[in-house]
Amino acid sequence: MFAVNRRYIKDFDWKLLTVAVMIASFGLLEISSAEPVSGLWKRQLVGIIIGLVAILVTTTIDYRIIANHYGLILYWIGVFLLGLVLTPLGKKVNGNQNWLDLGPVGFQPSEFAKLFTIVYLASYLSRFRIPQVDLRSMKSWPAKLILEEIVVRWIFPWVKIILIWALPTGLVYLENDTGSALSYISFLGGMFLLLAINWRWIVAGLVTILIVTALVFPLRVIPYLKSCSGYKCERIRAVYWPELAGKRFRYQNDQAEIAVGSGGIYGKGLRGSTQGTLGFVPEVHNDFIYAVASEEWGFVGASLVLFGYLFIILRLIWIASDASERLGSFLVTGFAVLLLYHVTVNVGMVLRLLPIMGIPLPLMSHGSTSVIATFFGLGLAINVRLRRFVN
Amino acid sequence: MLTREPNLEIDDLSRSPGQLGRRISLFYVLAIVIFVILIGRLWYLQVMNNELFIERAEQNRTRVLSIQARRGTIFDRNGEILATSQPSYNIVISRKDVRDIDDIADMLTVNLTIDREWLKRRFENAKFEPKYESIVVKEMASPSDVAWVEAHRYEYPMIRFEEAPRRSYPLGMVAAHVIGYVGEVSRSELNDTKSPFSKENGFKLGDIVGKAGIERTYNEILSGQDGERTVIVDSVGRIQREISVKPPVPGRDLYATIDMRIQRMAEAQTTSMPADRGVIIVSDPRNGEILALVSHPAFDPNLFSVRAKTNEGREEIRDLYEDPDKPLYNRAIQGSYPPGSTWKLLTSVAALNENVITPDDSRVQDGGIQLGNYFMNSLSNLGMPDVVTAIALSADGYYYRLGIKLGVDRFEKWVKLFKFGEKTGIDLPRESSGLPPTRSVKENITRNVLKRRKLDQGGVWSEKDDELVRRESHWTDYDMAASSFGQGTNASTPIQLLRYVAGLSIGGQMHTPHLLKRAAGGTDRFGRLQNETYYIDKGTYVVPMSPEIQEIVRRGMWQAVNGSGTAAAAAIPGFDVCGKTGTAQVASNDKAGAKNKDHAWFMSFAPRDNPELAMVILTENAGFGGKQSAPRARPIYEEYYRRTRGLPPLVSEGDLTKENTPGDSISGEGEKRPATGLPSRR
Repeated sequence: MFAVNRRYIKDFDWKLLTVAVMIASFGLLEISSAEPVSGLWKRQLVGIIIGLVAILVTTTIDYRIIANHYGLILYWIGVFLLGLVLTPLGKKVNGNQNWLDLGPVGFQPSEFAKLFTIVYLASYLSRFRIPQVDLRSMKSWPAKLILEEIVVRWIFPWVKIILIWALPTGLVYLENDTGSALSYISFLGGMFLLLAINWRWIVAGLVTILIVTALVFPLRVIPYLKSCSGYKCERIRAVYWPELAGKRFRYQNDQAEIAVGSGGIYGKGLRGSTQGTLGFVPEVHNDFIYAVASEEWGFVGASLVLFGYLFIILRLIWIASDASERLGSFLVTGFAVLLLYHVTVNVGMVLRLLPIMGIPLPLMSHGSTSVIATFFGLGLAINVRLRRFVN
Repeated sequence: MLTREPNLEIDDLSRSPGQLGRRISLFYVLAIVIFVILIGRLWYLQVMNNELFIERAEQNRTRVLSIQARRGTIFDRNGEILATSQPSYNIVISRKDVRDIDDIADMLTVNLTIDREWLKRRFENAKFEPKYESIVVKEMASPSDVAWVEAHRYEYPMIRFEEAPRRSYPLGMVAAHVIGYVGEVSRSELNDTKSPFSKENGFKLGDIVGKAGIERTYNEILSGQDGERTVIVDSVGRIQREISVKPPVPGRDLYATIDMRIQRMAEAQTTSMPADRGVIIVSDPRNGEILALVSHPAFDPNLFSVRAKTNEGREEIRDLYEDPDKPLYNRAIQGSYPPGSTWKLLTSVAALNENVITPDDSRVQDGGIQLGNYFMNSLSNLGMPDVVTAIALSADGYYYRLGIKLGVDRFEKWVKLFKFGEKTGIDLPRESSGLPPTRSVKENITRNVLKRRKLDQGGVWSEKDDELVRRESHWTDYDMAASSFGQGTNASTPIQLLRYVAGLSIGGQMHTPHLLKRAAGGTDRFGRLQNETYYIDKGTYVVPMSPEIQEIVRRGMWQAVNGSGTAAAAAIPGFDVCGKTGTAQVASNDKAGAKNKDHAWFMSFAPRDNPELAMVILTENAGFGGKQSAPRARPIYEEYYRRTRGLPPLVSEGDLTKENTPGDSISGEGEKRPATGLPSRR
């Protein structure tokens, strides 16, 4: 099983892993600089080490075996854990019921459930062919048979995809974790794009969405968002119409913005953060770690981190395009889109471009589950890369 | 896993690397576009708006806390302390660390002896205070409290102590109306541009300012420059460390004209007033300096500065406001009273100046007078007395006729020359101007009465009613007769009468009564250097009267005390006290009762030649001036006389009564003499 040979070492994507470990280490440094409770960085370090071990272990197993043989099991484990969160075993953190309280260790199943859903969806989609119903050849068929043919061959496969996707998404949504629910949409969209749907359909879909948005947004959505109540609306207003938002909701955005903005070009240096260490920025070691990093390392450091993420994401897309068959492409694309979503939403919310949505910054935010899940995903990509040549 | 494999694979292009590559390139574009936007935003925040956010971060983390400056000390003219500021410590607690007051309430209750209920309320109230502020849990902490906090710094880092000078008034109620008191500036004063403590003048909420008395008038002198402490705070306002400290500069010391020796004698005299209300003011007629000012009843100014924060203190203050005797009201300058017979001097001076009578020929008929169908009674009937006798024996009938002879025009002229109906300009807040006995005042009063009556009945005020007012308020002989001896519409303040008698004593030179002797040099509120300051009398004026006239006034007043006059109870052998009594009717005779007894006046000066002291005594609702007020003047004069002339001081009360009983007084000698000495009771 543990086949350490020269080819494994040669084909292993060391660049991807190096950049990821660098970002994770930088995250570790920032956690130690800003942590409100001392010693948090140690727990993060444990997470990183477990993540690295997970990469080594998973890369020895062919990803096709993982996806096709264990995909369904992993998927149901993910769904089961998500369901468990909704039972009294679950714990509410910051308004989202997305934690499992396992005594000394907390566990956030949604991070793994996302990946497991991607794995199973990739496995399913890789074998999925867009059904074509040839009505001409069915001319002579009885109507009942035509209907059955349409339902069974055409509608049912799509429904199944939607069901596979909707089950965990619905559970996450029930956990009040809108940010994670939206992430399911992101990777589903990304993987759909890879399905050989006709280009015309894609363009037509995008144009329709654009026109509907252009019509509905100014007339219905914006007035609604400006007046609706509830913390989600407040968080949206805090970004786009701060004067209409409650002070309490504006606070986090304001403070993160001040942290980033006061960093300047070169930053205030390690442990130079005042916004973070004096407690103005909330969740500083967690969802807002990027705010402290930007404050301490300025534009230079903050954009360097972004380039690191960009490198990883572009490299993942490259791995997906270079994969030996459909499964690998779907798998890595799904993960790349998920990563892109996380980085965009987290950095976007820190920079006051997007509303605050409890999405951690992969690799940097404090949270062992998230780090291990991210490394697990990277491990799958490296796995695909290792086996890009058809044996 | 799948039930049925789709078998139509017409569009299976996924194995074609070119097609997949094109699709996937869409993700390259998407990722790069997103990162360009993010980096652009970073550039906008960190490079383009860096300065703005640096400033906001600084505002976030630094706080400038003000350190109260010590107010200047107020001394009497001899250097006795009237008001001072003592270093005192507040124990404060930073709010964040105390999520639940119950956690530490017991500990604080036991170790710092704080009332638990009070502490709870304090935390409740603190919810509405600005966020960064810490909660004061104990004011005026004792040294042992401070030591306890110091010793438990590591155990309870959220508890600390802060210096906060506390105003204290060592004399308690003595001279309270002169000194006044301090308190936090009120919101309404801050917002009123006309108030001396407006925001425009640099005051802010929480500043301690003078609320009454010298504390208020000379707030600018007494206030120092507050210091500043710049500290770094965390997001909940806990002080992390100090960056810089600008120490406060104390205010300037102030020396009042008050002479505590005279003030104490005067205080003692007010304690025995029958209705427990009255006024004694003593001044130096040569310059207007007030040597003693008592408005009785008084209050303890410490109540406002020291005890106001406790519940008991607040209750005591409420009691003060609700007391029907109004202890917070300074009767000496705010109270208006009919002056009664003390006014006869004004009528005499006016008549002599206008040649209605002359020094040689001043005889006028005394006794009751028939005015139309009304007979005006007179208590005296001395036949045809001259003006000196009329003053000395307070001949009412004499003044009825003299006033009518003088006529209202000339009478009003002299009221105005003496500046009755105007504020004296004393350096105390909220002085009232009184009502002079003039035709316009009578008309105004009549109009107000009629108007109120008519409006109460639902009527409308018209031209015709104005006509009625003019008819009703027509100045009759009765008005003239009443006004000439201090009744009628006359309402004057004791301080106006003091200026009047002081001026008369030195030949018509009217000095503005004042309390500021000098203010030491120092720094003001804004940190500017100020030189030593003396009082400058800008309001001094002269009432013209010839030496003959002055001599007549003096003789009349001297005889009132030293002859067989009304004020014999004030006589001191050797000191030549001159005085004039007054018994002012408060209500018409049929309403008279204990509550509406006459106000007893005595205004005087001494010695007769080159006077050194002028004095006004008002004993409210007590009866005859000669009986109730004149005797109170004597111990005050006596103390001064013996002290300044090097005579042995009076040993005890008993001696005083025996040795100094005036022989032939018309005032009842059987009555008890007011006690001397320090006030021992209220």
